[in-house]
Amino acid sequence: MKSFRIFIYLSTGLTYLLIFIGGMVRVAGAGMGCPDWPKCFGRWIPPTSIEQIPAHIDPSTFNIVLAWIEYCNRLFGAIVGLSITITLFLGLKYYSHIKRIKWSLITAFFLTLFEGWLGAVLVHTVLNPVTITLHLFFALIIVMLLLYASQEVYYLDNPDAERQSKYPSRMQSLFVLLAITLLIEVILGTEIRGGLEMIRKDNPMVDSQFLLDMLGPFKYAHSVLGFLITVLCGLIWYKLVKRSVNPSSLVVQTSTSLLVLIMLQIVSGEVLVFFDVIPLVQLFHLWIASWILGIISVQYCAWKRSSLINE
Amino acid sequence: MNKILYIIIPGIILMGFGANWVIQKAKNSHDIPIIKQVPEFAFHDQDGIPFNKTRLANKITVLDFMFTSCTGPCPLMSSNMATLYKEFQNVKEVQFVSVTVDPVTDSEDVLKEYADFVGVDDDRWQFIRSDLESTKKLKQGGFMLYAGELPQGHAIKFILLDHNGNIRKYFDGTDDASQAVLRKDIAVLVKELRS
Repeated sequence: MKSFRIFIYLSTGLTYLLIFIGGMVRVAGAGMGCPDWPKCFGRWIPPTSIEQIPAHIDPSTFNIVLAWIEYCNRLFGAIVGLSITITLFLGLKYYSHIKRIKWSLITAFFLTLFEGWLGAVLVHTVLNPVTITLHLFFALIIVMLLLYASQEVYYLDNPDAERQSKYPSRMQSLFVLLAITLLIEVILGTEIRGGLEMIRKDNPMVDSQFLLDMLGPFKYAHSVLGFLITVLCGLIWYKLVKRSVNPSSLVVQTSTSLLVLIMLQIVSGEVLVFFDVIPLVQLFHLWIASWILGIISVQYCAWKRSSLINE
Repeated sequence: MNKILYIIIPGIILMGFGANWVIQKAKNSHDIPIIKQVPEFAFHDQDGIPFNKTRLANKITVLDFMFTSCTGPCPLMSSNMATLYKEFQNVKEVQFVSVTVDPVTDSEDVLKEYADFVGVDDDRWQFIRSDLESTKKLKQGGFMLYAGELPQGHAIKFILLDHNGNIRKYFDGTDDASQAVLRKDIAVLVKELRS
């Protein structure tokens, strides 16, 4: 049973790392580093020199650095897949009687298989923009499912958690609204990034700070939604921290972290708009968004648990 | 919680450095290698002004070998070159050079007429000529392209040269995929020149 705990927490952490690595592949432009799937240039280990490329693949597509970046992403993806599989196996062995754990793990497992398949589709469609966004979208869903299962396991070990805490009762719609807004915001963000790449390809000589001006109206939509998210997160913090009786330390700390992360998002977003589209800032801007989504999911579960056991 | 932060924050900073290293590596991997120096040559442009290697200095040059009466792939090459010529009209560092491989037919006047025909209205696109022997020498010796049967075997390459007169890359002058890569690579070299 201890092994299950190790694996569920490990899988969650590794999935977050994988989202980071996936974002890195994207900003490094290494998505087509390997033109085939699952092998890379027809090999299980990518070529280290141009002579090793099989005859049916155009050698001019070979870039050793990009090939190895993409290969590390796939390798890490395989490790995460393996970790989630073991987690599912152990989860079914020990906790098949607890529906929440069982079904969130089963869903996470099948979505992970789906993600692997989407990865193959991405390569075969030469990075179709809609597929790239879906690839990220399902990664976020998987990480939220894993967080949910982790939290349920945590509550099994700490049955008294949230028993002393009393939160405002009407928060369900606030959480749902925030989660949906966040997901839309992430999708808008990927659209902006994709749009920038298209414009950059067609106008290679334009400096990146002018590229944003050439984007359509969705950059404003991203800002407006960002403002709405800030307000909603402020509201959640106010309700959970200020309007609650004896809120748990998990809830207080996640609420504070939420505000800090939102601030970081505003700052990094403004840097991208006003200074330069810096790849590293782009990467963290996306990764922090995945953290925010995770925190909202954790808070929702804590709030839900408190209202259930204190009924 | 504080203890976790002590692990997480340095971890994230480390990831940031790692990611930055990877992103830089990826960026540098797009560098275009130097193939070789273009040898000295002495040609004339369509206005009769000498065109030699010094005219390549501080310019990013896209060069091809063609002849005006060619009916094979040349019209497509000229049309692709004209597209690039228009696209880079605001980038003064980029120039285009077409070398005629049929200097007997392509006199200065013929070249001038051809330049008008493809829409050249400034000095960013030059049409240059010399005698047949020098042309062969430049093409085969300088650019490593077969020059046995001129003008027919004139090669359909676009050749990208940097501001020091180095050959950096060869492109197919007739297909769209190569044009897309060429467009990107011109930008890379211009940024290299400006930095």
